[in-house]
Amino acid sequence: MEKNEKVLALQSGAEENVTLLKNFLPAADVLVYRFETADGKPCAAVYTDGITDKQLLGELAARPLSLSPAPATREEAEKLLLFPEIKSADDVAAAAKEILSGNPALLIEGICGAIILGTKKVTLRAISEPQTSITVKGPREGFIEDVKTNMSLVRRRLITPDLRFETLTLGKRSQTAVCIAYLAGIADEKLVGRICEKLKKTETDGVPDSSYVAQLLSSSPASPFKQVGTTEKPDVLCAKMLEGRIGILCDGSPIALTLPYMMSEDFQSAQDYYVSPARATVNRLLRTFAVLLSVFLPALYVAAQLFRLQLLPFGLLMTVSGGVQGIPLSPSLEMFFLLLVLEILIEASVRMPKYVALALSVIGALVLGDTAVKAGLVSSPAIIIIALSGISAYTVPDLTGTLSLVRMGYIVAAGSIGTYGIILLTGFLLYYLLCADEWGVPLLAPFSPLIPHDLRDSLYKADIWALSERPNVFRPKNRIRLRKKETK
Amino acid sequence: MKLCVRQICFLFAAVLPVTRLLVYPATLSFWAKNDLLFAAGMSFVLEGAAVAAAVFLASRTQKTFFELLESNFGKTAARAVYLLFALFFAFSAFLPILEQRGFVLQVFYENLPSFLSFLPVFLVSLYACAKGLRSIGRAADIALPVSAVCFVILFLMAVTEGDYTALLPLFGTGTGILRGGAFGLPWYTGGAYMLFFLGNFRYERGAAGKILLSYAIGAAAVLAFLAAFYAIFSDIALLQQNALAHVSKYATAFTSLGRVDLFFVFALTLVLLFALCIPLQLSVHCVCTALSCKTALPALAVNALLLVLTLVFNQSYLEIQTLMTQKLWVVYACFALILPYVALFLRRKDRALPCRQRREA
Repeated sequence: MEKNEKVLALQSGAEENVTLLKNFLPAADVLVYRFETADGKPCAAVYTDGITDKQLLGELAARPLSLSPAPATREEAEKLLLFPEIKSADDVAAAAKEILSGNPALLIEGICGAIILGTKKVTLRAISEPQTSITVKGPREGFIEDVKTNMSLVRRRLITPDLRFETLTLGKRSQTAVCIAYLAGIADEKLVGRICEKLKKTETDGVPDSSYVAQLLSSSPASPFKQVGTTEKPDVLCAKMLEGRIGILCDGSPIALTLPYMMSEDFQSAQDYYVSPARATVNRLLRTFAVLLSVFLPALYVAAQLFRLQLLPFGLLMTVSGGVQGIPLSPSLEMFFLLLVLEILIEASVRMPKYVALALSVIGALVLGDTAVKAGLVSSPAIIIIALSGISAYTVPDLTGTLSLVRMGYIVAAGSIGTYGIILLTGFLLYYLLCADEWGVPLLAPFSPLIPHDLRDSLYKADIWALSERPNVFRPKNRIRLRKKETK
Repeated sequence: MKLCVRQICFLFAAVLPVTRLLVYPATLSFWAKNDLLFAAGMSFVLEGAAVAAAVFLASRTQKTFFELLESNFGKTAARAVYLLFALFFAFSAFLPILEQRGFVLQVFYENLPSFLSFLPVFLVSLYACAKGLRSIGRAADIALPVSAVCFVILFLMAVTEGDYTALLPLFGTGTGILRGGAFGLPWYTGGAYMLFFLGNFRYERGAAGKILLSYAIGAAAVLAFLAAFYAIFSDIALLQQNALAHVSKYATAFTSLGRVDLFFVFALTLVLLFALCIPLQLSVHCVCTALSCKTALPALAVNALLLVLTLVFNQSYLEIQTLMTQKLWVVYACFALILPYVALFLRRKDRALPCRQRREA
């Protein structure tokens, strides 16, 4: 769309305008549908094949025009057409933008400019349960790749005039619609303004997915830690917006972004809110324990073997020492090698066709696991530890990538300096995370800085009446979200 | 505001007490023997009074210590005092660094580790220094639960193993108590820390009470630990360097579980790491304020200086400890105990708290 720097005005001749538009859009999928009005004046509709509803175009535009005399003005023409969504475009660039979005430009002889008809039709997949956040109880709807459908999913759950959508177009070439959703009176509108400003100031070629927007909004995009929350579920997005967060929907992406983000969010699951608070608390503690296990267990095993055998109880020590006898690799190299194999298996199983997955499981479990132990390449305890660590990481799916990187770091630290290396790396990471504030909210809140009020929905899950106030960390304007109605 | 009252409370209740659980108990046992609690109590009272003085000052002014000095003596004098304090903090961090080095090399390794194993600590402290004062408070927030849980578990494992009659007879060591109190002062620099928190936290109603109560809780925890420590080791307590790792090792549960106490000791080492970084962070803060510069260069310089000193005096912990505790304790007393009182006499004319707020304070 770089041609639009020079504004070309549309004329009143239909054929002349067709030429102008075709010169501007020479692509083969931009087609012209020519027809005449009842009194023989030429008309044309320029549209993009595949994303325009041709049937609608024929029935609601071509048919009424071909059955009546040519309208003299644009207003008259708009009365003839039965479209609920009609716009006009006076220059070639504006018309071309609409054509490429799926809305055809109707050109009528004698009427200056183009009439844009809202007949966009994109083939979309059905709304289904997202693969990354499956719940046993609770809604199963997930976002899809169409921003308007996603907006409607949110609107259906928040039927209030306070629900606002700010729409921006991002990407010089992709012209992707990005929608910022928030609840007026609850969310910080200054923050909405800052987000809009930051996005508007960004000039990029294209935005294929919302993760691009997430990176654009991050203060340190190279960080291994997430700085923007994500969800694929409209119920989760609505719940977060009700807490005071801001949602960002991006056309072409089923993943909605939420801001501000805190790390504790990833330990919460949608299901926590649909089961009893006690069960939800236990689940959260389990997830926390699993994450700690996933990160520290391989490193502690390496450190214990290399530098501090006393960490292991005597019985276990005997078992481990029996298991590791004759292993050619050092404990850290062995662990590193197994982690590498695990990462490769995960990467391959994500990308390969499903019918090959069974074969991969067999190869992974039998060949790489059992045979490697029998061949004396790796020890059984190491395989158990890596398996446990790998599985544990998936209790918090949003953090899996980060955990995998951090785990590698810990193994290097443990293999070179031992347990003290683990502590130093923990100290370093904590200092990093402690001082990381994204959009005014600390990443480690409500633990550091400690916000006791907010612990009731992070460290544990309190009952619904105890959560009658929105989290303090967002400094919401309207704090109360639940109260009993007073009846006279 | 970089800090808040809660974080300062956590610092006194959970971070600083842990630094007194390594070599300090053995040092006290050497000087004060079974009266180590009185010697420690004396030091706590002195430091507590200095903290109280600084808190009182905070209730009277919103100025930073630098602004107070500047309004009284001019910018040059304020800069000079800050540079002196920068030296003091760097110097006061040296003993804990060597102390932790010994602790790490003894407790974390069963084999003979390379001395270099300890050195990456300077990378962490360099990073912490670059993050400024705010990270001290936030680290304290994280340290409190870690410290509380680990300390309680270790203490419970140790408390039943001791013979508490070893603490009797009371006052049997005479001047040993005074010596223990004086020579233990290098472990009590909290008063000086408070001076530099002035103006960096919002004084709120009841803050003085909260800070002093948390200080008392931290002191009580250390005293309880010292009692259990001496009850367990009695006459050989003076040989038990790195007391933290030793007090709970006799718990009977270990026969089937392994040395699980070490996990809690390791977790407390994280708190020790935070505590070790504080004087270095304050030293960098002082340099940055005095020279109006960014943190990167001073952080690098302070850490490099201590790294060199650690390398040079790697094998001389005993000599350094003797020098610092027996000869230079006066320097610690001046900077950490007396100066907070002197600061009370500084004029505090502008930006003072409104009368009502002062009354509430």
